[in-house]
Amino acid sequence: MSQSHSEPHNRSTDTAPGIPRWVKVSGVVVVVLIILFAILHLSGAHGPTSHMVSGEQNMTMAGGSPTP
Amino acid sequence: MIMNPRLRKLMLTTHITISVGWIGAVSAYLALVVAAMTNPDVPTLRAVWIAMKLVGWLALVPLSLASLLTGIVMSLGTKWGLFRHYWVLFSLVLTLFANIILLQHMQTVTVLASLAAEMSTFDIAPLRESLGGELFHAGVGLLLLIIVQVMNVYKPRGMTAYGWRQQQA
Repeated sequence: MSQSHSEPHNRSTDTAPGIPRWVKVSGVVVVVLIILFAILHLSGAHGPTSHMVSGEQNMTMAGGSPTP
Repeated sequence: MIMNPRLRKLMLTTHITISVGWIGAVSAYLALVVAAMTNPDVPTLRAVWIAMKLVGWLALVPLSLASLLTGIVMSLGTKWGLFRHYWVLFSLVLTLFANIILLQHMQTVTVLASLAAEMSTFDIAPLRESLGGELFHAGVGLLLLIIVQVMNVYKPRGMTAYGWRQQQA
């Protein structure tokens, strides 16, 4: 979130400005991206144990010795 | 509270340094992933996972949190504000998103790095299979940071309704 040396202009208008097109397009992309990531991570499809095959799931989370 | 020019310049320098450092740390992380993917050597694979955990916790996480914090301070300490302009809002959301995903993903990296460090005759398949996910996370992360950087430099026009009301007041 770097800022440049220039400050925003103090323009005065009677009506509130509309939402620019780049904001609408980027907003949709960002929302879709966030939802996709959230689904992937919260569903457990991408958790710490998701990369292990069945045999390795007997290992403890700390990576210790296999449980009986 | 608007910062005076000297403090503002100091904060801006700090924020840019930290943010660019974050991009550099992600690049280093990607280099490790690529090295492991292109090298069939098992000791290299194990070493890479341990290195990724170290780069993650000692560089990526501190830099990402510091970038978020200094970005918020910069926004609140200048006339740009945190919610007045869409580009600032987008930068905040993307940086926050990157921080959350990073912190969450580091749990996975920590578990796999522990396995890499402690296993002896353990099957290395999970370490090898997880590299694709690492490439994806680091690649998307790098792309995201570049987008934020470009937005911060170009500052595309667009004031939020809140920003407009503040301006009229």
